[in-house]
Amino acid sequence: MEKSTDVPVQPGKRDFLKWLIGSATAAWVVSVAYPIFSFLKPPKQGEVEVSSVKAGKLSEMAKDSGMIVKFGTKPVILIRKADGDLKAFSGTCTHLDCTVQYRKDFGSIWCACHNGKYDLNGSNISGPPPKPLDEYKVIIKEDEIFISKGT
Amino acid sequence: MKYGTKILTAFFFLSIPCAIAASPKNPDQCFVCHEGMGDKPSSLYKSDVHKLNGISCSGCHGGDASKEDQDDAMKKSIGFIGVPHGDEISTLCGSCHADSVKMRQYNSKLPTHQMNLLAASVHGKNAIKGGQHIVQCTTCHNSHGIVSVKNPKSPVHPLRVTQTCTQCHANAAYMRLYNPSLPVDQLDKYRTSVHGLRNAQGDAKAAVCSSCHSGHDIQPAGSAKSHVNAANIPETCAKCHASADYMKEYKIPTDQYEKFTKSVHGVALLQKHDLSAPACNDCHGNHGAVPPGVESISKVCGSCHALNADLFSASPHKKAFDENKFPECETCHGNHGIMTATVTMLGVDSTAVCSKCHTEQKSVKGYRVAQEMRLLIDSLTNDQKRALGIVEEAEQKGMEIGEAKFKLRDAHQARLESRTMVHSFNKEKFDEVIAKGLNVTSFVALEAQRAVEEYFFRRWGLGIATLIITILAVSLYAYIRRLENK
Amino acid sequence: MRSLSKKLYDWINDRVHLDDLVEFMGKKYVPINSHSVWYYFGGISLFLFIIQVITGILLLLYYKGSEDLAFESIHFIMAKVQFGWLIRSIHSWAANLFILAAFIHMFSVYFTKAYRKPREITWLTGMVMLLLGFGFGFSGYLLPWNELAFFATKVGTDIAGVVPVIGKPILVFLRGGEDVTGATLSRFFGLHVAVFPGIFTVLLATHLLLVQRQGMSEPLELANNPAHVRKTMPFFPNFLLRDLLFWLIVLNILAILAVFFPWELGKKADAFASAPAGIKPEWYFLFMFQTLKYIPAHVLFIDGEVLGVLLFGIGGLLWILVPFWDKKSSRGERNLIVNYFGIGVVIYMLLLTILGWLT
Repeated sequence: MEKSTDVPVQPGKRDFLKWLIGSATAAWVVSVAYPIFSFLKPPKQGEVEVSSVKAGKLSEMAKDSGMIVKFGTKPVILIRKADGDLKAFSGTCTHLDCTVQYRKDFGSIWCACHNGKYDLNGSNISGPPPKPLDEYKVIIKEDEIFISKGT
Repeated sequence: MKYGTKILTAFFFLSIPCAIAASPKNPDQCFVCHEGMGDKPSSLYKSDVHKLNGISCSGCHGGDASKEDQDDAMKKSIGFIGVPHGDEISTLCGSCHADSVKMRQYNSKLPTHQMNLLAASVHGKNAIKGGQHIVQCTTCHNSHGIVSVKNPKSPVHPLRVTQTCTQCHANAAYMRLYNPSLPVDQLDKYRTSVHGLRNAQGDAKAAVCSSCHSGHDIQPAGSAKSHVNAANIPETCAKCHASADYMKEYKIPTDQYEKFTKSVHGVALLQKHDLSAPACNDCHGNHGAVPPGVESISKVCGSCHALNADLFSASPHKKAFDENKFPECETCHGNHGIMTATVTMLGVDSTAVCSKCHTEQKSVKGYRVAQEMRLLIDSLTNDQKRALGIVEEAEQKGMEIGEAKFKLRDAHQARLESRTMVHSFNKEKFDEVIAKGLNVTSFVALEAQRAVEEYFFRRWGLGIATLIITILAVSLYAYIRRLENK
Repeated sequence: MRSLSKKLYDWINDRVHLDDLVEFMGKKYVPINSHSVWYYFGGISLFLFIIQVITGILLLLYYKGSEDLAFESIHFIMAKVQFGWLIRSIHSWAANLFILAAFIHMFSVYFTKAYRKPREITWLTGMVMLLLGFGFGFSGYLLPWNELAFFATKVGTDIAGVVPVIGKPILVFLRGGEDVTGATLSRFFGLHVAVFPGIFTVLLATHLLLVQRQGMSEPLELANNPAHVRKTMPFFPNFLLRDLLFWLIVLNILAILAVFFPWELGKKADAFASAPAGIKPEWYFLFMFQTLKYIPAHVLFIDGEVLGVLLFGIGGLLWILVPFWDKKSSRGERNLIVNYFGIGVVIYMLLLTILGWLT
């Protein structure tokens, strides 16, 4: 190993290379820091979408009412019957894929598109729907309502 | 059963003098003796098809018909059974009627599977007392005095069969024993139907109970094997109504079945096996079958298509149609050959039905509205397609766009609702639904577009970062070289 | 500017004597020879580990380690969090590149016999870190709770379960029960983010300290050359700058992989679904997985799987303990048996991995 001796370098060239390394490093730091700081910023929807399971609080759901819950990419209708029982069905009408809703006045599930009706067991009882709605499992853990596939 | 008791009584009272009247020359001593006593069975049996074919009383009752002496002829030891009871009756009939070899001896062309059909039918399977099923052969065909079904005297002749069936089926107290939910007013309804009216006028060709329900093979309507099960009804009706030959004298079309099988209802019922789709009887009625009247059509269709019917009834068209005697739904949608309604029905071009009445010269307002409605629904369809296109592009680029895709369902829903809303023939209501759909599609398209832009942003970002890193790496390398060349 | 940093340096130097460290680093030389390129792979592994720590901590901000939420939270990271896709993809890709770099590092050390006295402890810590790296990979693979991970974990833990006597307790311990469930996920999560990093850090510190203390090893055949023939370069700044250069390139490769081949998420695990066709473990387990497939169900009186697991155990142990049975290299003599054994292992692993990849 020979010891490096101080060889004079043209000041202009030396400055340019150092300047280049310095500014490229700065740019590099920005290009790494930007994604990281963006990542740290909480997104608009601040929480994990727990669509596939958690549907809400039992205490916040009125008796004799229904709501649509996003289950993955499909809607699920959650119904709290007048007697307090919970039921969940696929929210997609078996007729032409509209989203169904709970109608208090009929006490049944109703599709606005063609007036299809299902009873609270998911069976198609009137109108054009050809098949019953698939049922989902409802589990209550403490006060949280969870919906899962399969009955 | 009623007959059974009578025969039994007659038998006890008249058995003694019988032997005196017997003549040795006649091979059927039973008949000779009983006729001499003048009892009812023998007088009925005189014209019985079995008697005419040379079958003696002993053919069913057992014993020896050649013996003159009553005690010899009716000895249990030689197989005399007297009056058969319950299922014995049908078994006895079946001993010949289910045996094609025996039946051939009498040159019979009758089918030989009635016994099997009866045994598998609702009448043959249900029992009220142990070992005795609801219906025996004699219940409908009589016991003595049986004649061919073509003979007007037969209780199963088309002109008489309705009475035969309703002996039980119109008796509410009796029917309750077997099927409390079954109506007992079929005959009343039938009398109002076209079939019933013709039957009452003596037309044996008009449909009767057995034409649809069959004679022996009667199953509950819910059973898939039943001739009147929803899925089988079109074929059952078509047996007569699709036969140009059979219907010739009635001067009505015979292409309904063919049209129906191709229609949206027929495809749903017969191919997709969707039993909630209407069969013939759902519009025409079953026992009271008639073509629905002009004004009642929307009620008939509305029993399933309720929303459309409600909207129509509240629309300005209702009055106009009634005044002009246009059949309501049918005017635009047709009847037996009804097809899935498409947007091409709406508007003013050649395929549209609106322009049948609304032209640029006549009923101009309706013409304009039809034109605008069509434009709106088309633009919603296009926007939906466009939004879906961008969503697909974003997906194909590997971007996560589940949320927007989910939202797109609402546009689909709005489009379907708008199709229903057409029946209000009200521009404001229609606009409302379309606007809902257009809002959704523009939102989804925007979201999807953003995702596509994000994709290119990633590529650009990578490009810039790579450039920076390359510059840094190269200058670093140059620096190292210089360091080492010192 | 200059004076400010000088002042700061002086302030610190006053208290902790930085001069000593600079002096030490300045006097540290790295040998230059035809095998020098291998020296960089240790550094690359280190860099990838640092990336894993950083991206791992970032992912922890949004990840939720429970059966119900694991999949959804990763989905959330990929879809909703800005640059979440980038951070997750880099974490996944860097994990694989780390194992690859560590493998190269290990084989270069093996074939240049750098493990020989006095560097036995460095070798041992390195080998344990590689095993931990496998543990990181295996536990991290399950965390997205997707279908492939679920079944890969099932199969992987099953294999652990065939070890005689201790297998079953290990399986139950790993799974947190008889089956792969949410409890398994919790355990793996804990191992992945707390237990393994803790142990790894201690080992890494030891490893680096020893490298600094003992310097780079030279290949056996060059170590005996006279001093004037042997070339060196200063560790600081020459070698360090080269290290940085490689790190930059690796980072760029990672970014390119993350953008063009984003790591898939797949379908959420469903314990009742049937296993998807062609499940395979991560590529670095593939040669073992494939071997187990080839071993017949029964060899003599031993169960085939048990035999395979035992053979791998013995082989691995033999490999780890190479500094202790290869006395020749430590004495500075050539030991060709070690080379043949190593070449055999490399060929075997490559062949089985390729076979496993193709089937």
